[in-house]
Amino acid sequence: MAETPKPYGIVAEFDNPADTMHAAERVRDKGFRKWDVFTPYPVHGMDQAMGMKNSKVGWFTFIGGVTGYITGMLMIWFMNAFDYAIPVGGKPMFSPIYAFPPSYELTILFGAFGSLGGMLFLNRLPRLHHPLLKNRRFTQVTHDKFFVVIEASDPNYSETETRNLLESAGSKHIEVVEE
Amino acid sequence: MSSHSSPATSAPLDLSRWRNLPLILMGAGGLLALIGAFVNTKQFGYSWLQAFMFFLSLSLGALFLVIIHHLFDAVWSVPIRRFVEHIACLAPVLFLLFIPLLILAPTIYPWMDPAKADHALHAKHAYLNKGFWYARVFIVFGIWTWLSFSLRKWSLRQDQSGAAQCTYAMRKYAAGGVFLFAVTLTLAAVDWVKSLEHQWFSTMYGVYYFAASVWTTLATVYVLTLVLKRAGPLRDVVRERQFHDIGVLFFAFTVFYAYIHFSQYFLIWNAALPEETFWYIKRETGSWWDIGMLLIFGHFALPFLTLLRIDAKLNFAVMIPMFVWAWLMHFCDLSYNIMPIPHPNGFVLHWIDIGCFAFMLGVLAKVFLKSFAAHPPYPQKDPRFAEAMGVYVPPATSGQAAMAHGKH
Repeated sequence: MAETPKPYGIVAEFDNPADTMHAAERVRDKGFRKWDVFTPYPVHGMDQAMGMKNSKVGWFTFIGGVTGYITGMLMIWFMNAFDYAIPVGGKPMFSPIYAFPPSYELTILFGAFGSLGGMLFLNRLPRLHHPLLKNRRFTQVTHDKFFVVIEASDPNYSETETRNLLESAGSKHIEVVEE
Repeated sequence: MSSHSSPATSAPLDLSRWRNLPLILMGAGGLLALIGAFVNTKQFGYSWLQAFMFFLSLSLGALFLVIIHHLFDAVWSVPIRRFVEHIACLAPVLFLLFIPLLILAPTIYPWMDPAKADHALHAKHAYLNKGFWYARVFIVFGIWTWLSFSLRKWSLRQDQSGAAQCTYAMRKYAAGGVFLFAVTLTLAAVDWVKSLEHQWFSTMYGVYYFAASVWTTLATVYVLTLVLKRAGPLRDVVRERQFHDIGVLFFAFTVFYAYIHFSQYFLIWNAALPEETFWYIKRETGSWWDIGMLLIFGHFALPFLTLLRIDAKLNFAVMIPMFVWAWLMHFCDLSYNIMPIPHPNGFVLHWIDIGCFAFMLGVLAKVFLKSFAAHPPYPQKDPRFAEAMGVYVPPATSGQAAMAHGKH
């Protein structure tokens, strides 16, 4: 016996960025949480239209950077002053002055790792499959169509009401996508 | 969209109470400075130099902002360009303020005293001699005046005609001017501050003064933009974008300044040559050590960590104290460069310092306000203006574009 397929969410297609943006504002104002907008290119003002706050990736970058800086300082102190002290030109065995450039490089490197890792983590990537990818019309998102997708797991989701909302927002084509 | 409340709905800032402030500063500061000049001529010379270098920073920083505006064909800075042009055009006033230094130079620059000539001076004699030093003063002020006035002249001309030719003319001045700017600023920093200790070497010195200057200017421009928006003249043309972009540039120059100053210190520390290290050893004496630490943590670390978040750059409660702090830090930075000569034992805030600073601030504010009032508050017919207001401007068709460029 095959299981009855669970709905993943409702997909609404739009023809232009202006309609998509207005639809996004209406979905935002209804208080939906689990939804997204897909466009062929970045649309200015979409973040505000979706009510999105500043990305949290910056915190991962910051923590990565601080970790990198400390790692650099500790590594140089351990190698040049503690484990195998090397006197150079009568200078102190350890000084933050000469250890700064490599530590700074590690700040940038680990900061970049933090950004990349944080971005993947927050986007729940990598993932091998996404329910939207089996929808024929959705492939047009990389060409000239715009989509608003509201997930069925959102507490405000109701198949009829959500469909009505997106219809009244001006969507020409709406369908339910299954898991 | 509706969630953003526009500050345009609030009552305009009333600045009439402050109208006499420049005159009061001029009067009180001028009196203090004048007494200082007679009581303690040497201290007056250094205090005057310190205040002068501070305000020269603002004029040169403003000139730089105008130049890069044209070089990058920037859109966002169109609404704030006019008052920045006025700050750049303070160059001839600064020349008048330089006159006391022309007179006092032999008192404050030890190398001008033939009795103190040494091998280091002998080796640098081709550059560092009285005649050439005085000649350079006239050359650099001539270039700054010519450049800033030419840029403003075309900008004002565009207010009448709106012709794209004016933009092209300004672009030419900017393209050639950026080279002249780099050279003249370096000469000024080397001649007027670095030559206080002529034995020293640092190829970073011009860039060091440049980085600090633009940093201070950006903080100043941010607050002036806010004041002019709240008071009325820029109310309708300045938007979130201008504050964001000035904030971002200020943040960039925070890092750039630290990078430059660290590079200077690092090379000297690593090479450990006595003819270079003496400069920093002097500045580790007494409370100069604390000023050095203040520069690391106050000039760099504090603004860096505060402005790391993007929303801090739009938060006026953060940015206004930051502007006051930036002025204080730049003053300490100049003090760190100049004042160990008369005060080798540590930092001293002399009453003549305050007098000279207040006097110059008063004079320059007065001239600035006068030129601001005499001209339209922002470029009236700049071809980029609509774009700066967020209006979509369709690109010209190829035929029109070709005509406008005078090519094909």
